[in-house]
Amino acid sequence: MHMKTPFRLDDHPRRPQPPLASPPAGYFDQLPRQIMARVQPEAAHESVTWGWLATLSRPLRTALASVVVLGGFSTAFYLSQPATQTPNLPPATALAAVPEAALIDYLAVNNQLETEDLASLPLPDDNLMAYFLQASPQELEAALGPAPLDEAYY
Amino acid sequence: MEDQEILLKFQDPAARNVAFNQLVRKYQQKVYWHVRKMVVDHNDADDLTQDTFVKVWKHLGNFRQDASLYTWIYRIATNECLSFLQSKRRKFFLPLNDVGAELAAKIEADPLLAGDEIERKLQKAILRLPDKQRLVFNLKYYDEMTYEQMADVTGTSVGALKASYHHAVKKIEQYVTEESSAD
Repeated sequence: MHMKTPFRLDDHPRRPQPPLASPPAGYFDQLPRQIMARVQPEAAHESVTWGWLATLSRPLRTALASVVVLGGFSTAFYLSQPATQTPNLPPATALAAVPEAALIDYLAVNNQLETEDLASLPLPDDNLMAYFLQASPQELEAALGPAPLDEAYY
Repeated sequence: MEDQEILLKFQDPAARNVAFNQLVRKYQQKVYWHVRKMVVDHNDADDLTQDTFVKVWKHLGNFRQDASLYTWIYRIATNECLSFLQSKRRKFFLPLNDVGAELAAKIEADPLLAGDEIERKLQKAILRLPDKQRLVFNLKYYDEMTYEQMADVTGTSVGALKASYHHAVKKIEQYVTEESSAD
């Protein structure tokens, strides 16, 4: 059996390139044109969209970027606020500003008092009533007439 | 034109196209052959070379010059190649070896290799390497890059690259020896 000498890469003549078929004639003359044709649309698009940015100086571009960022934050903050805000007016003034029709509509829907609401009402105060009416008992009796008999017996 | 000058001109909107055209003319052959070695087929290499330069155009404004422009472009081209080979496998559900075998079959049919048996076996051996190991081998053996430059291109440590190249050479020598013994 014939034993061949082991192959040693260092002993093999080194080629600058592997022996592959050359590209078509004139390939390297045309390649730059083909590549430029591919990058030109991108270059045109870049110049139309953002080209004006390149004309600005670096500090101006930095300032512009800051304004854009701050503007973004302000807009986000403004949009995150409730849509309507109640003006800070005294209750009486605020209530006077509400149209009567709206008040009637509101009461028609929300006029049911709960037991809790009644329980928390203050008890009638005779002194307060006398102060409010500013009338003597005689004047009151004259105005109201004698008390009904059935009530007097209770 | 020096890379620095190209980069400076590229920053000027009025001179951008001229600068980029010069950049393409300067690096197109290196990029094309780097890609071609990885994908073998000319049409695939053409597509990937164009895609590489389109990406260079998009990102050149952000190039920070931590690496040289040359290795930065190589890095983009390398990523394009690796993504292409990976997507090819996913698309056709091919295991690793089948893509290598497919590429090796293209080499087999290449008329340039007719009559040079050892060279044909060498190329087949290279194409049977895993993609990343083949990349390392190509950068070192054909492009004669330093390990530091290769580290910039691949994002791998110098030590790992040395080990990878060493293993690649051993695999190639073993394959060619076995193929020659079988004849």
